[in-house]
This record gives sequence, structure tokens and C-alpha cells, in this order.
Amino acid sequence: MAIEIPTLPEQMPNDASRYVGKAVNRVEDPALVSGTVEFIDNFSLPGMLHCAILRSPHPHARILSVKVDAALAAEGVAAVLTGEDVGRWCNPCFTAPEGWGNYCLAVGKVRFVGEPVVAVAASSRYLAEDALELVDIEYELLPPVADAGQAMASGAPLVFEERGTNVMLDRTYTWGELERVFAEADRVVSRRFRWNRVGANPTETFGCVCRWDLADNSLVCHGAYQTPRFMAIGRAASLNLPVNRVRIVTHPQGGGFGGKGGPRGTDIAALLSRKSGGRPVKYIEDRMEYLLAGGGQSWDRHYDAALAVKADGTVTGFRVRLVDDQGAGAEGYGTISAAKPLAAFTGNYRIEAAGYELTLVATNRAPTYPYRGYGPPPHNLVLESLMDCTAREMGIDPAELRRRNYIRPEQFPYTVPSGNEYDSGDYHAVLDRVLQMADYDALRAFQAEARAAGRLVGIGVVNTVEPGVFDWNAYATVGVPGVGVPEGVKVAVDLFGGVTVAVGFSLQGQGQFTVASQVAADYFGIDIAQVRVATTPSDVAVPHFGQGGSRLGVAVTGAILGACEKLRAMFCTVAAHVMQAPEGGVELRNGCLRRIDAPEHSMSLAEIAGLMLSRSDLLPPGIEPCPEATYVWTAPNRNAPDDQGRCRSYLTAANATHVAVIEIDRDTGRSAILDYFIVDDCGTRLNPANVEGQLQGGVAQGVGAALYEEYVYDADCQPLVSTFVDYLMPTIHEVPMTKKDHIVTPSPVSPLGAKGCGEGAIHTTPATILCAINDALAPLGKELLETPASPHRVWKLLHEDGAAA
Amino acid sequence: MPNKQRVEVRVNGTRYVREVEPRLTLADFLRHELNLGGTHVGCEHGICGACTVLVDERSARACLTLAVQADGCGITTVEGLRDPSSGALHPIQQAFVDGHGLQCGFCTPGFMMTTLELLRCTPDPSEEQIKEALGGNLCRCTGYQSILDSVKLAAQRMKPSTPA
Repeated sequence: MAIEIPTLPEQMPNDASRYVGKAVNRVEDPALVSGTVEFIDNFSLPGMLHCAILRSPHPHARILSVKVDAALAAEGVAAVLTGEDVGRWCNPCFTAPEGWGNYCLAVGKVRFVGEPVVAVAASSRYLAEDALELVDIEYELLPPVADAGQAMASGAPLVFEERGTNVMLDRTYTWGELERVFAEADRVVSRRFRWNRVGANPTETFGCVCRWDLADNSLVCHGAYQTPRFMAIGRAASLNLPVNRVRIVTHPQGGGFGGKGGPRGTDIAALLSRKSGGRPVKYIEDRMEYLLAGGGQSWDRHYDAALAVKADGTVTGFRVRLVDDQGAGAEGYGTISAAKPLAAFTGNYRIEAAGYELTLVATNRAPTYPYRGYGPPPHNLVLESLMDCTAREMGIDPAELRRRNYIRPEQFPYTVPSGNEYDSGDYHAVLDRVLQMADYDALRAFQAEARAAGRLVGIGVVNTVEPGVFDWNAYATVGVPGVGVPEGVKVAVDLFGGVTVAVGFSLQGQGQFTVASQVAADYFGIDIAQVRVATTPSDVAVPHFGQGGSRLGVAVTGAILGACEKLRAMFCTVAAHVMQAPEGGVELRNGCLRRIDAPEHSMSLAEIAGLMLSRSDLLPPGIEPCPEATYVWTAPNRNAPDDQGRCRSYLTAANATHVAVIEIDRDTGRSAILDYFIVDDCGTRLNPANVEGQLQGGVAQGVGAALYEEYVYDADCQPLVSTFVDYLMPTIHEVPMTKKDHIVTPSPVSPLGAKGCGEGAIHTTPATILCAINDALAPLGKELLETPASPHRVWKLLHEDGAAA
Repeated sequence: MPNKQRVEVRVNGTRYVREVEPRLTLADFLRHELNLGGTHVGCEHGICGACTVLVDERSARACLTLAVQADGCGITTVEGLRDPSSGALHPIQQAFVDGHGLQCGFCTPGFMMTTLELLRCTPDPSEEQIKEALGGNLCRCTGYQSILDSVKLAAQRMKPSTPA
């Protein structure tokens, strides 16, 4: 049976939406503000032990001996796990590209500061940490590979000796006639950029409670898991268990942003449970562990990039060379973040040719992991900064230069040189709206006055395309196989007409339970309070992925609508039978099954579900007594990539333009954001308040990345960041209270016309801020092409000539 | 094993007496000894503010306070905000719900306890006063704008009615 998913809210079987498109209060919130939500550290099992992990103080060293006898004899200690156990029982984690993975606990040598070496399970966390102090480890120090340059030097020490090189991947993509457009260009604008490491830092770190059932040889892991089924497959692979003997029970999470980590902590807690006779073991990562070596470091990049530009300002080519420091292995799929820019490589522009030289290297820094945006934030910073450099060189207003190069509304669907297809958009309208809202001409006049008075004021106007609804095919170039990302739900109607939506993921903050409730309530014409969204353990849930790639709002909407469409067909058949209507003579409308020829004859959802569950004698032939349906959604019309990585990958293409006004303090180098404007277009806004929250939250993270946050390593590869005193998260004082507006171009290809909208702001904000800073610096003839533009870094630039600029 | 010390506290109006190790933090005491899990722990070094509670009416970082330091004190946690008889949300809680002042909700108890102290001391705060009060709490989700709006909404709703 072909299922038609409504592509606009008006196609739902009701006279008017009561919930979709409205800023309804979130169903998640009453429990969250009451403090009663079961975050993982609020969960316990009887007899539970607590894990503490001893971590490497060295970036690169051989482990000569590990003595744990004293720790094992310490008070309250039930088990001690070492590399010897892990080498015997486990496999290194799967990676993309393959073969760059570590074991969950160091075996033979350590590759980064903070790598787990020994773990203890004891009756309390305090006692477990006490016992770690009794562990004695002898190391032989090895020369570290401190950065990407060292990694590629001949004769460099090897992070993974068996690989024979530190280069994980070295590929060149050419899309279109790149050499020709650069040869024919009237101007080539090139720069080198450095994006330093930042990371997710959700307020809750990773945590889990694992229990290895020794009789059944099965494993149950409760935890803060973003992608439960993916986690189950990974644990089965690393712990040598059949997948159907691993159950992942995901709990609500205190944020994720991709960088929650999890595999190492889970495997360690699971093995400690195995070693302690099957007692449950809790591991709660602390913030110092997270900052040193958790799943929270991303994007350590060196760029060489250039635009080919014609005399009239038409940009014809974009060439990027990226050397990406992945740290000690690919365990965190940090590699994917170098592949994702293919989905929107040339941004909002009609650039006809592009090239990408990609080198991923291993060093002795901590392994990199996903972080919200997953790669495009640095890529967009490079592209958009080059657009500003071009505008400055040519004496064209930066907004005008962009406008001249935009993909035009009538060109959609538009295939970019790197292969993805943008579904829809109107970039000119978004730019017009934001320039009007910001009163751009007045801003430029204000800037001119300020400059005349000697102030360093700059304006950034930056637009980006947000690839939304990720597909595995986008990441094939770094070795992740697959097309399609199943997201499934089960929708069940109970005896009383209540609706339960069973999903495979849990709360993480984006409000997907609310969106699911809105969609199901509107579809069946019931009150939102009659919908319940419930998380299912990974082993019994329908195929699912969870949060990731600005995908889940759209994907879960599609899955619910698919299941609802199945239920509608089933209920109509049952109702027609019992109401003695002709086949096809009943429709669902506003929550009632009614005869089309006599709408006064109708049945409620509760009547239909009750009849199906309790009066099998009245059911038509072939109908099971089951008022439930599952549906697994994946984006339609995706394809496998070609030899240059080109494919229809991300389903939707939202876009936004940000305008920032920044003033730099000459004495301190501090950049103050004086004003900030956003206009975006993410199609249908299923819950406008959720969308605004995603935007503003992304701005905050973008501000952090652009101005404050940085994982600093010294020349010996020792991390200098281990607390929030060193890693500067933006507070309410640093984040601008943005002025926002939007336009709506519904996606013609997605459920209800919604586009992925979770990452657009972090894609755009760092570039906007850096462009504004460089606009402020322009009169001094200075440029800053490194992030974060911290006060220290800006001050040094201002004062490099010896005197205050 | 270090000697245990007796701690007597009144949390959200209920009296508790426990023997605890001197090194036990107030956060761990509340969460794991008293099973009041609404006070969350985000950094354990006093920066993020997720664990903020009121100790004798003043905001304190439960991660940097030892349980024994709270001996004899009255403590208010997020569990003490709802009306105990009706179960109704406190106006601050309701304002955070209505103002979409949270996403993942992990930092929210800390923000609400800080807000409670602010509005008790400054019932009609300016935007700058709100920012000053909340400047010690980190939120990674919201970008603070909806939190600011929620606090303004709470202040407006809690303002003692002025004579006409």
C-alpha cells in the first residue's frame, strides 16, 4: 500500500490545525521544571556499583606495567578493569574510515591525555576514586604528534604504528571545470584560515548504568544516549555480543549537540559489571573528564581557500584545501564533519565549479567527535569571509556582492556542484527582509560616524544554507556506507481514544515529543493532552536513529503521519463495515469516522479502537484486532554517491541571513556585539517557539566558537583546558538578544513542508561575527583569520606593530 | 573510613538527620542521600550553576558546599517550588513553561532557584539586574533570550498588586 505523507498542514484530515504551526507549550516542560525527570544520574538499580576511571597523564606513551592489587584490596572495591581484560574480551571500536579505532581502555599504549587506562567499580564513587590512587602504572614516554603539521612531516612518530602513516584520508574532489574557471577569473581571492578546536559541552555530561547478565549473556545499558540503536550495534561489535542481546534504554538527556560521547564509558561500565559478577555499574563522567577526553572536541582545522571572481563580481569557482586534525583516531566520527560540507559546499551561490582537497590526520590530541552543525560552521566561515574579502577588494557592498551571486527562486530545485539538491528557497527575500529589519543603510551611516570618531565598528552580513534531514549517503566519502536513515514510530489508539506514540529516542531538548504530540493530536482531531509519547528500548523499538543532522523533527513527523495514514485506512474499513456503508464510503475528519453520504452517522476513535479490541465478531475479514500501526520514514528519492561524492543527500535546504554589529575595544581587544538580526526560512514552522529556541541557542554556541571557546594544547600536546575556568562558555552577558523575523517557503518534498532547523544558526553566527570583526579592522589594514577572535588574540593583532593601533 | 558527622537539615520544610562523611558535597547529599534528584550537577567546580539551591534563603552552589556545612540550615531545592497541597507549579516554574525558558531542562532548576532569590530581593528587576543575577548560570541550549523573557514574566506575575 502506497502511503501518501501530507506535505502541507492543510492536507491533514481536519478543518483547521489546532496545534501544528502554533507555539504551544511543550509537553516536556512540567516535569522538567519540577526536577522529576529521570536523567541518568537520577536512576539507580539495587546493588549498583560506581565506576571511576584512571586516565593517562601523557599524550603518547607505552604502558610498561599496571599494578592494581592494592586497588583491588581497597575498601568497597568489587572489580578493577585493565587493558589486559579489554584486549582479551573486546574489539577496538569501529571507525570511519576503518581501522583508526582505539579500545575503550588503553591496550599497550596511550594515545592522548585523558585516555582511560584503568577503571574501578566500588560501592560508592568516592571509594572508587580513592582506589584509583592506589593504582601504579609505569609508562615509557613516546614523542607526541602535537599537531597536524607534525603529523604529516616525514619521519613523524606514528599514533597508530600498524597504519604506517598518520594520514587517515587524503582525497581530492573536483566538481565542474575548476581549472578553467580559475584560469579565466579576473580576480582570485585567497586566504589561509585556522579554526581552533571547540566542542559541544552539554550541561549534563555522559552517564550510564550497565548490567551484564552472566546467565543470559546479555547486556542492558541505561544512559544518556542520543542514538540508541546505533549505540547498540556499536556495543555488540566492541563487546562481542549478538546485537539482539544488547538493550539500550535511553534516558532524557541534559543536552547533546552530537557531543555526548558514550561508547567508551558504556563499554567500561559493562565490562566492570561482567567482572563483578553481573552487578549493575554506574558511570557518570565528570566535567573535567569531559573537557579532557569526552565526546566534546571538534573541528581542529587548517584551511587554504580561494574564490575565482569575474570583473562584475560573479563568483565562478571555490577551491578549498582542508587539513583536519582528527586527534587520536576516528572513534568519534569526527571525520564525518569534513564530509558534511559537500551537502552545501557553495552556500547560497551559483558558483559553477568547486574543488575540495581533504586531508584527515591523526595526532595525540583527544579524538574529535560530532558537534552541532557537524562541519559546516568552519566551512561557512571560510566561504563567507572570502566573500567579504572579495567585496572589500572590489569596493562592492558585501550584501550586494552576495545578492548578485544568489541562486534565484526560479532555479529550485537546484543541484550544487558538490552534488546535493536544494529543495526550495528565496534568498533575495530573506536578505531584503533582514536588511530592512536592521535598517542597513542607517547601520552603515552609524559605522561611518563611529569610524570618523576613531571607533572600531564593523558590520557582518552573512548568509548560509542549512542542509537539513541528514542521510548516510552524505558521509560515504569518509567510509560510512548506506543510503537512508530509518526513523520509525508505532502509533496506538487505546480503548478510550487516547493515542500513544512509541519512539526510539528520548528527550534531549529540541522539543520533539511536543512536535510529535502536535502532529498526532491534529491528525486525529484530539486534545494534545490525549497524546502520550513514550520511549521504547532499542531492542524492541521499530528501526530508528534519534537526534542528529537537523533531522528528527521532520523525520518523526513523517513517521507519525505515515502510521496515522495506515490507521486511517484501517479505521475507515472497519467503520464502513460496521456502519454498513459502501467500501470507501467512510472518511476520517476532525477525529471522527463518518459516512461520506451521511456525515451525521459517525464513530469516534474510542468506539473504533474499542470495537477492534473487544468485538472481533464485528470486524470485517482480514482486519486484525489491533488499532496500532508502525511506520518507518526515511527521506524519499535519495541515491548512492558517485566517484566524486555527489548525491542527493540532505533532503531540505533551509537558509538564513544574519547581520551583526560589533565594536572592538582597542584597549582590551574585546568584541562587543552591539546588535544582531536574523531572518531565516526553514519552511513550515511546526512549533515556532521551538524554532526560535533552536536559532537563539545556535547563536549562543556560535558566539562561543567565534569569540571565546577553545581547546588549547601546548607544544608537548598537553591540554591546557580542563575546567570551565579555562573553557569559556558564553553567559547571558555575552550572548546577544537577537531580533528575529522569518519568511516561509515550505519544502515541496518534506512532511508538512518543514525543513531541518537545528543547526542553521551555528552554521551562520561564527562567520557573521568574524566578518563583522574584519569589517571593523579594515580601516587598520588588518585581518583576523583565526578563531576564536578572543580578546587576547585581537589585542595582539591590534598591538603587533608595537604601538596601540 | 573517615569519621562520619551528624548533619541535621530542613529541606523544603522536611527535617532530615543523617551521619555523613565530612567530604560529602551538599549536591551528593541532596541527590543521593535524600533522593532529591532535581538539583543537577553540571561541572562540580562552581561555574555552571546547575546545582544552585537556597541555603537559609541565600543561593549557594551545592557542588562547592559540603553537606556538613549545611548542618542546622534550611534548604530550598527545586522540589520545594510546587505548591505542596495543590501540586500547582510555582509562578516561576509556570513562567519558564509559558516563556519556553528551557530546552533540555538540565540547568533549569539552578536558573529557577537563582530567580527565586532575585525576585525575593528585587521584586521588580530591570533587565540589567536580571542579567546580573543570572550571569553565574550557564545554559547551553537556549541562548538565554527565552530565560530572560521567562524571568520578566515571572516578575510581572509575582508582583504584589498595587493599589489602584
